[in-house]
Amino acid sequence: MSTTPTPTDTTPVLEAHELTKTYHLGDHTVEALRGASLSVAHGEFVALMGPSGSGKSTLLQILGGLDQPTSGRVVFEGRDISGLSDDQATRLRRDRTGFVFQFFNLVPLLNVLENVALPFTIAGINPRRAEIAERIREVLALVELTGKEQHRPDQLSGGEQQRVAVARALVTRPALLLADEPTGNLDYSSSREIMDALWRAANDQQQSIVLVTHDAKAAAYADRVLVVEDGRVLEPIVLGRREDHSAATLIARLAELGL
Amino acid sequence: MRRLSTLAWRSLAARRLRSILTGTGIALGVGALFAALATNAGIDASVERTVRDVIGRADLRVAAFEERGLAPETVAAIGGTPGVEVAAPIFERRTYLLQPPEAGHRSEPVTVHGIEPASYGQLHDLEVVAGAAFGSGASGEALVTEALAADEGVGVGGELTLLGAATPGPRAFRIVGLVAGNGPFYGDASRSVIVPLADAQALFERPAVDRVDLRLAPGGSLADVVSGLETRLTVQPYVIADRHDLEASLRASTADFRAMIALVATVVLFSAAFLIFNTLSMTVAERSREVGLLRAAGASRGQVYRLVLTEALLLAVAGSLAGILLGMLAAGVIAGYVRRVEGVTLGGAVLPPGAAALALLLGVAVTLAAAIEPALRAARISPVEALRAHNDPGAFQRARLRWLLAVFVVVGAAGLLLAPSDPVSGGAAAVLRALAVYGVLLAVTLALPGLVRPLGRLAAMPFGRLFRAEERLTRGALARDRSRTALTVGALAVGLTMVVALGVVARNVRLAGSEWLREVVPGDQIATSIRPVALAEGLGSQLAAVDGVARVTPVGTFDVAYQGVRLPAAAVIGADLQADGRLEMPEGGRAAALTALDQGGAVVVPRSVAQRFGIRLEDRMSFLTAGGLVELRVVGIVERSLPGRNGDSILVGWKDATEQLGVEGADFFAIRYAPGWAERAGPEVDAVARSLALQPATLERLQQAVSDALGHIFALFDAIAVVAVLIAALGVVNTLAMSVIERVREIGILRAIGMSRRQVWRMVVIEAAVLGIVGSVVGAATGVLVGVIMLLLAGSRLGVPFEPPWLTILLAIVAGVAVSILAAAYPARVAGRYSIVRAVRFE
Repeated sequence: MSTTPTPTDTTPVLEAHELTKTYHLGDHTVEALRGASLSVAHGEFVALMGPSGSGKSTLLQILGGLDQPTSGRVVFEGRDISGLSDDQATRLRRDRTGFVFQFFNLVPLLNVLENVALPFTIAGINPRRAEIAERIREVLALVELTGKEQHRPDQLSGGEQQRVAVARALVTRPALLLADEPTGNLDYSSSREIMDALWRAANDQQQSIVLVTHDAKAAAYADRVLVVEDGRVLEPIVLGRREDHSAATLIARLAELGL
Repeated sequence: MRRLSTLAWRSLAARRLRSILTGTGIALGVGALFAALATNAGIDASVERTVRDVIGRADLRVAAFEERGLAPETVAAIGGTPGVEVAAPIFERRTYLLQPPEAGHRSEPVTVHGIEPASYGQLHDLEVVAGAAFGSGASGEALVTEALAADEGVGVGGELTLLGAATPGPRAFRIVGLVAGNGPFYGDASRSVIVPLADAQALFERPAVDRVDLRLAPGGSLADVVSGLETRLTVQPYVIADRHDLEASLRASTADFRAMIALVATVVLFSAAFLIFNTLSMTVAERSREVGLLRAAGASRGQVYRLVLTEALLLAVAGSLAGILLGMLAAGVIAGYVRRVEGVTLGGAVLPPGAAALALLLGVAVTLAAAIEPALRAARISPVEALRAHNDPGAFQRARLRWLLAVFVVVGAAGLLLAPSDPVSGGAAAVLRALAVYGVLLAVTLALPGLVRPLGRLAAMPFGRLFRAEERLTRGALARDRSRTALTVGALAVGLTMVVALGVVARNVRLAGSEWLREVVPGDQIATSIRPVALAEGLGSQLAAVDGVARVTPVGTFDVAYQGVRLPAAAVIGADLQADGRLEMPEGGRAAALTALDQGGAVVVPRSVAQRFGIRLEDRMSFLTAGGLVELRVVGIVERSLPGRNGDSILVGWKDATEQLGVEGADFFAIRYAPGWAERAGPEVDAVARSLALQPATLERLQQAVSDALGHIFALFDAIAVVAVLIAALGVVNTLAMSVIERVREIGILRAIGMSRRQVWRMVVIEAAVLGIVGSVVGAATGVLVGVIMLLLAGSRLGVPFEPPWLTILLAIVAGVAVSILAAAYPARVAGRYSIVRAVRFE
């Protein structure tokens, strides 16, 4: 799976051009996206922020191949994925992207190890193969869950559950990790553990990440923050890769934008 | 919404799939029940009609016990008994029509009724539809039933030639009239010829009658006449029967059929009860948040309880009414299919309003019994549930299977209510059998939750080799709510139990029937006579004269009276049995015993009779005969003996039979071919037999006839039992749909991380297959057990050997798995199509 381009590499792993998405709810037509464009470079950590209903979750789902845009193009690793068949999209999700959601990330019947290994199991790869087992150990170490392999989800705290989800999303070395409000339901210290894990992945393993969040403290971990409003992506707030994750600059800039 | 109960309607409408599944389950259960009730009511009505037809205006019937019939003096004594107004002597014999050589041979016998028109007409109506009634009963004239006329293609003015005894030979009768339909006869008597009594007696060279039908003088008392007969009839043994005796005997002979159909229908109801309990439990579990909200808004526990029961009641009434309609259709089909039970010809289905009311009542009772536990569970839901973010119904509020005990009691009570309640020996056995079946089903049901996990693991193993992820997730899904899995599997198991148990019983009864014949009949072929053939007539030697015939053994069948009980008996030649190597004789030296039979004063007793009366070797048995008590020594006890009308026959030698027991002659000849001659000698033996008015039949054909008759009846029971499997399939649809709905998010996550639609579909189908395998295997195993118990309860008399019906078992398992997988089609499709976006969205 993907090797290690540096954060300065400017080849985009993902480009979205003029995406629109229209829902029909009975007689109503909802325009969730109205021409959103963005690009994510290899190894880059991008945060999408915006008020509720701004379309940021819809955007994330389209970027990850969970949903199709009404119009516009998504180019992922040089390939247009906006018109993929269900099977092609399924393979893309399995092999090239990883997802973390706000809720219900884990299969309750499987233990931590089985949940993390699930993408391999689904692909028909025996997770006990040496290099796979090694990779699973590595991601569990990254999210600091070594020793909890046999726990079931209901024996873990909310933060730990989300870190299992992060580990699973990372385990296949996807080209892109997509996270939808992964800290939305957590307390401050659990949130920090999640964000630290994501940041380590970006920093140590050059993992490309798109994070949707409400929370400026979480967004402050990103290299770049894109504000989504009314179905469009506004000018980016570039923070650069920093060790301190201070949210002060971001909050100031957001205030300037009236958010 | 004016009242809270309106919510019940809305909730049923909102869960349309489940409401339809539950309603259909109730409808099928009640339908099977009503069909059974209507069929049994039809049998009752037919019994009454048959009794009316056969008895006519007679009050009493005096029948000969012995073959030689009632002599003229006895008939005169009966007619002269004070209080008797009309005495109609009747002669009855089975025979064959003489066929012109060019006509293809027709083998069905006809029954000849010899009557005195004057006396007979006062007691019985012969509804003549064409030609004329007997006037004074001119010699050579005959009435025939429409059924026979149609069969033979003859009409008024035509002729029929009847085979009689050897000396007068066949005689032609002119048909003067046709009797409507089957005539006032029952059993195989629909092909009947009515001739003047004297003609019949001459034809068969037998100056006797078989029975005398009596009508009492006005004001005469039955008891007085009976005691009068008892003092006057001292010479010949006889049997007195009135309308109630005949009715009771017909009811008794149909009791087993009625009990069986009721049992199978009850098991269908069990299956339905599983489905109802399961679906209502799910509804409650799924709605815990909604119920919490109602409670938070001030609804009392009682209100919640009543709400759930109201829903159940609505389903029960709608389902039961639909079931009664279904049952009416089914009863019509059954009546057309069965046509005749033990000699009683069925009329159309009878649809008694009482049975409809009973079916409705039972449908509602079973549904409510199944609803009480879920309703109580709903009532206990705390208002706090409304506030929970996660709604995982599997995690709490599981169905408690112990409650099934109560449901079982209700269904079981219903089943016992349906069983025929005749005070005959069969009644108690039927109840015992039903109780045993219910007991086993209950035990298996209670053991199921514990069995489901290990069996499921085992059943899933082969899938794991191919589809690792799907298999692992499937196992988890099954373990998620073990009660639900157990109930789903249980319904399937119950249905298949009955199918397999019926298979076990059918196969072994069939096997026993044919084994029995092969083991006890000393021949490859038998030739049956319609009259007792005296040994002196030499018919046996004519048959033996055919090239290739090694031996011909005459066998006479009759009844003996022992300790006030009528036992079937057979007269045999011991030396022939000895030479043929037949009869397994565990007690008493075989050779010595068979020799003793021919010498006389000896009897060989089948084990069943020996056990019943506590008879041991060398005991003396006393039989009541016309000539007083006859004492015979028990020289052997056989495992199985020649089949009689009700059980195995005791065996006596010809000497005792003719000299002491009133046997006139042989009823069939067993013909043994020389090795390798069966093919060549067969046709000539058939021809000779026919020319002697004997009915030839190979042993295989007799076995086939037994087997066909059984197959016909068991196919019906099977068809009803299959309804239980259908109900189980509804349960599988329901469980899988629920399992899929509950796992919307899980499936969404799986899809998001790269599980394909095909894999999701496969996951659900594997779940169904595992449910199917576990249910089928448990059902098949339980079925064999239940079958064996049913055999043991019946076989303590029959001594049936056991052999599992492998083909039925295999078919049942395959069908069970196939039905489950088919039932998964819809839920699996739904699961495959879930939108990931919707699945992962918060609530």
